[in-house]
Amino acid sequence: MRRFRAERWGGIVQLQTPTALVFVDRARARALGHDGGAAWEGPDEQAEQLGDSPLSAPLEAHLQLTNHCDAGCTGCYTSATPGGLPHEHDLTAWKKSIDALADAGVFHLALGGGESATLPWLGEVARYARARGIVPNLTTSGLYDDATLERLVGWAPLFGQINVSLDGVGDTYAAVRGVDGFARADRALVALRNVHPDIGINAVLTRTSFDQLSTLFAHAKKRRVSQVELLRFKPSGRGRRDYEAQRLTDAQAEGLLPKVLRLSVWRRLRVRLDCSLVPFIAHRNPPPRLLRFLSIYGCAGGDHLVGAKADGRLTACSFAPPPEGSVARVTDLSTYWQSKDAFGAFRSWQDAEQPCASCEYLSLCRGGCRVVSLHQTGRLDAPDPECPRVRAHAAAQSPPPSPPSPTRRSLPVLA
Amino acid sequence: MLRRVHHRLRRLVRGDGILAAKLGYNPNSSSLGVDVTFLLFGVSAIAMLTPVFSLLLRRKPAP
Repeated sequence: MRRFRAERWGGIVQLQTPTALVFVDRARARALGHDGGAAWEGPDEQAEQLGDSPLSAPLEAHLQLTNHCDAGCTGCYTSATPGGLPHEHDLTAWKKSIDALADAGVFHLALGGGESATLPWLGEVARYARARGIVPNLTTSGLYDDATLERLVGWAPLFGQINVSLDGVGDTYAAVRGVDGFARADRALVALRNVHPDIGINAVLTRTSFDQLSTLFAHAKKRRVSQVELLRFKPSGRGRRDYEAQRLTDAQAEGLLPKVLRLSVWRRLRVRLDCSLVPFIAHRNPPPRLLRFLSIYGCAGGDHLVGAKADGRLTACSFAPPPEGSVARVTDLSTYWQSKDAFGAFRSWQDAEQPCASCEYLSLCRGGCRVVSLHQTGRLDAPDPECPRVRAHAAAQSPPPSPPSPTRRSLPVLA
Repeated sequence: MLRRVHHRLRRLVRGDGILAAKLGYNPNSSSLGVDVTFLLFGVSAIAMLTPVFSLLLRRKPAP
């Protein structure tokens, strides 16, 4: 059965093979036998307006099933601990959350933590999501015992794709994470790949790991993974502490896209970049209509995606705190989604200040990563200060350096 | 008749009405990962992908 979700401009068709969400206009949707119902009662929006206003529901939800994790990585964005969070959801509560997401029309789940693989009911969550028509996907660190890994291997076929966090090979892994876990993560990668064709690698980019990307891609090829997903280091959780030392240098950020595309061709591997890296993609001036066609958006929090903390609190994205003053939980998604000012700054990107306001990529990039903006400027709605365009704008605005003040010379003292 | 077939074929190849395509799954639970591999082909990626998706959409889904 093929799923279809009506939107004002047409709708979204979920393809199973190849896995894709295809956005079609009303005419095409009608030709395929779909009816938009209430969603099509208003005027037909033009294709160019796709992305200008939020979707009727998120495409995917990121559920932090637990904040329990024993690894203690120095840059952990959720500050996960062996104790987890107080009042974490149990299986019953997550099932209710999945019901709410399914009723809203969400297509995919990305399950994470903490370390969700340690939950004895993870398989049940995945099974339940499948039963409700949502494809569950998983990120795991692999940093657990053999029995836990064996149990996860048994559940693997329930997931659409599983990514193992592998921030580098050998010493690079330890340098990024502050924990020497490469061997354990790699063994999880091997075990999962043996039973599932769609296993990928998640790698956080830091200024150390950036220069070792070639080694990582070689390792990914050796392990026959289906793709490599590269993530920007975020100033969130414990990651705030050494953000300045870990984040990409400006030169690395500017050279990111050509570098990963070269590696993708060389190793014949699919590569994904996370939403926070879109300002660095835009820096290379790809045609905006191509980005729109490939659904390459920057901050899509509170639009294409929502997050949920381990206690079920709704967030625009996993890195962001719950919206100010909001007590909404995933089960409140449908009501909260439609509410005025939902997700605050995440949805007000059209009011961006310069240079974003006049940037041709604004409707795609949406001002860059809100979490980086909040950390660096104290404001969620400020332009991403690490975007090359924003940096150039700031440099042009700052007053030219004042000429050196004439050195005062002592007058010769005449005796 | 021939004209109608020609019109349908043209529509199929042009992939009329296909606005965007989001490829694959994003298992990453912290942010939204997007497949950038097709950026290699520039705008011709649109011309390459639309007829493919047009055909796939017409194919009857498995029950």
